[in-house]
Amino acid sequence: MLFGPFEHVPAYPLVFPLFYGAAVIFALVMARHLRVFAVAGPSTVSGNIPARLWGVVEYALIQTRMFKDPRAALMHWGIFWGFVLLTVGTANAVTGGFIQAVLSWPLDSLLWTAVSALQNVVTVIVLVAIGYAFFRRLVTRPARLTYTTDALVILALIGGVVATELLAQAFEFARYGDQPGAFVASALAVPFRSILRPGGVETGFISLWWAHIALVALFLVYLPYSKHLHIVTSFFNIYFRKLAPRGELPSMDLEREDATFGLKTLQDLGWKDLLDGFTCTECGRCQAACPAWATGKPLNPKTFIMGIRDMAADAEEGVPLIPNSPSVRETYGLTDGVRPELLARPIVDTAIPFDAVWDCVTCGACVEACPVLIEHVDKIVGLRRNLVLDESRFPQEMAGAMRNMEGVGNPWGQPRSTRTDWTRGLPFEVPTVASLAADGRLDEIEVLYWVGCAAAFDERNRRVARAFATCLNAAGVRFAILGQEESCTGDPARRMGNDYLYQILASGNVETLNRYGMNERTIVTACPHCFNVIGNEYGQLGGSFEVVHHSVYLDRLLTSGRLRIGEDGAVAGKVTYHDPCYLTRYNGIESAPRDALAAVPGLQLEEMERHGRNTFCCGAGGGRMWMEETRGTRINQERTRQALATGAETVAVACPFCMVMLKDGLADAGRGPGTEDPVSIADIAELLAESAIPAEGGRRLSVLQ
Amino acid sequence: MRIVVLMKPVPDTAAGGERLTAEMRLDRAAVPAVVNANDEYALEAAIKLTEAGDGEITVLAMAPSNAPETMRKALAMGAHRGVLVTDSSLEGSDTLSTARVLAAALETLEYDLVFAGADTSDGGAGVVGPGVAALLGLPLLSYAAKIEPDETAGQVRVRRISPTGFDVLEAPMPALVVCTQALGEPRYPSLKGIMAARSKEIVTRSLADLDLGGQAVGGAASGTKVLESTPPPPRAATRVVREPADVAADQVVAFLAERRII
Repeated sequence: MLFGPFEHVPAYPLVFPLFYGAAVIFALVMARHLRVFAVAGPSTVSGNIPARLWGVVEYALIQTRMFKDPRAALMHWGIFWGFVLLTVGTANAVTGGFIQAVLSWPLDSLLWTAVSALQNVVTVIVLVAIGYAFFRRLVTRPARLTYTTDALVILALIGGVVATELLAQAFEFARYGDQPGAFVASALAVPFRSILRPGGVETGFISLWWAHIALVALFLVYLPYSKHLHIVTSFFNIYFRKLAPRGELPSMDLEREDATFGLKTLQDLGWKDLLDGFTCTECGRCQAACPAWATGKPLNPKTFIMGIRDMAADAEEGVPLIPNSPSVRETYGLTDGVRPELLARPIVDTAIPFDAVWDCVTCGACVEACPVLIEHVDKIVGLRRNLVLDESRFPQEMAGAMRNMEGVGNPWGQPRSTRTDWTRGLPFEVPTVASLAADGRLDEIEVLYWVGCAAAFDERNRRVARAFATCLNAAGVRFAILGQEESCTGDPARRMGNDYLYQILASGNVETLNRYGMNERTIVTACPHCFNVIGNEYGQLGGSFEVVHHSVYLDRLLTSGRLRIGEDGAVAGKVTYHDPCYLTRYNGIESAPRDALAAVPGLQLEEMERHGRNTFCCGAGGGRMWMEETRGTRINQERTRQALATGAETVAVACPFCMVMLKDGLADAGRGPGTEDPVSIADIAELLAESAIPAEGGRRLSVLQ
Repeated sequence: MRIVVLMKPVPDTAAGGERLTAEMRLDRAAVPAVVNANDEYALEAAIKLTEAGDGEITVLAMAPSNAPETMRKALAMGAHRGVLVTDSSLEGSDTLSTARVLAAALETLEYDLVFAGADTSDGGAGVVGPGVAALLGLPLLSYAAKIEPDETAGQVRVRRISPTGFDVLEAPMPALVVCTQALGEPRYPSLKGIMAARSKEIVTRSLADLDLGGQAVGGAASGTKVLESTPPPPRAATRVVREPADVAADQVVAFLAERRII
């Protein structure tokens, strides 16, 4: 019999216009979204299809990133998988029982019975999860969420779709008898059967059954206007995610005349950036992870992405849902296109306040936290590029640092001639590559130590350079430095948005390194920013280098037995280790620094709550080292508070910027040197150098004077 | 509004290593050149006055022949064109010679205002601007903290910083204004500006192109000679106050008061 499973539903064929009509509206609204995507710029999506597909499984189906917040994750998992399974029932209803017919065929209907039973189970799970979701939104109200009617409407729609389906089934059973499998509905049918008159049961069944279909249709029509659209877009957003190293900003071709530099309007964004916007579910995990937001600054990564989506949605104004025929367009002079003036609005001060653009420390905590792999940082740097290169509009303090990088090759504004001052008084020679090359001894170099500007010029960080050189010397590593030929890598300039200055500095360094054949050697650096930019970004300028962070290098020296630690060394006590963003979050180096620290005699590691990939920035990334922190409270003070909460006697760092920021933070907290209860701060290299056994004939250098 | 900004390429002070040659002249090869910082303030003031309406800013320099490289930085900030007076016989010019050459060059240009920086970071005399005004008979408005030209009235009004507050001066244009840093931080050139500067015109003139009216200029004619040059003694031990802010402030105030600095 045609539509057998729905023989009790009056006017059943009306399902088809209702559901498919809604589906067509859904498709038309989605197509209108895509019209805006089409006027956005290109996005580079490289191949590697297996990795992309695996990402969809990992992030969209298993939803690994959600489980950093286990309760919310379980709730979401329940609703998602429940909804997927229940869609089988809905699909059956809108196909005239096709699914049921197929699934009933094998094993004497056993499969369909099992599906029915499972559907009943997940219905209950979904309803419990929806209940919890309402409870969160209305009672506990976590700070990271955005409280909108949209969210409540969606919860009500899901709850309604699921509840009407189950209840309709229960009423159907009460009136016409049970079907195998759907045991929850059977149980619910018992009281209905006994309490209600048969006529009432039938009316209940008919109205609930049609209410279910009506809600499904409503859901489809409403979805493209809702943040809940992520159930469609997140798969694509995850598939098309950035696969390049997280620390590699998009390259820039500065020779393109008449081009807009960086990101100014929607048209400068790539379509993937707009997809980011339409994928954001306003969950606020980025907001909760953001150090700028945590310290009361106007930057909110969530509202930035929402703002981009809203701009894109606004740009659809006037675009008809059903395109006009060419003759109508010609007659009335219609373009049907996205209006240029709606695309010309600047993103800054529409989707994100000007100040917020500069509050970002580019620490990447938002990107790390996002369950659907939205890229916030690349976009913020893109906005900075436009403000710096096109408009020359940025915080005043930045100009000084940029002029210094431009003039003397370092943001501190120190003369090049003082670059090697840190080596003075060391009991061994630190040769420059140039001097070795002049003597024809270039082959002797095992590693090039890329000192970096901070270690060369900052008083405190010079001690780190001395300590690291001492470790290298103790391990018998033949190393050299570039000395005055070294320049700032350009990282601060690039992350401030001045890619022009970055490219000048970086290509100079690439040229110097290649001239000495350092592309065939190992480069070691104690600065995670230098490490990231040389390793991940110099490739864009034709530089291919093997660069190792000093924590990894020291760990290797310890493992191979070249660097030996004496048991008579200073006892370190309780130490907490602060993960630098550009080392751990951007480059995944988490265990090597800890392994190296474990070699220090008597060291007891106390982890902060936010460590590893969830580390909390010191406040100096993204060029913020050279900007004033005038809004909100200070990020370094917040991180210092977290470090002090561990009760550690020493804060261990592995980055010169973190060193400066946390040293200041400790001083501000009244725990600096010379205070009653001081907490010391030391780089990993300093802690190791304290107790390293010197190479034969050498002597131990007291580095922590 | 046509403004000429006097500009000098000077050794980058941040680079350090500024030194003299055996002839007691600045060794320009030792350190890369930049636009003299005070001239950048003058240029910034000129750009602010002209960017709203139509106007033209000319950067005028007397410098060695490689100066266009540095002048492009001024053009990138927003000046429209450059005029460079360069001649090997000008090497070793003193301030009077320089003022004479710049004045002669200004005679060939049309302008409403001439802006000069307060002084240069290498020479530090601070008299070239006033010298040019004197030679051309232009009104001199010095220590400007605010510049308000009125084109219809042909007048310029300047707020001049004085030891007791400020004076408001007014003079007919053309006039020469010596600018101060109170006029506002110089802008950082945008990449658009840098690219536009590549194709902006820099006119080079030699001494033969100028009418100096028989005045002697150049090293040979200089009335001043550098006899000796000593680097400043290394800085004495610094005292660092490491107390909490409230205590530290008192100590700093006491330290300064003790020396009658405040």
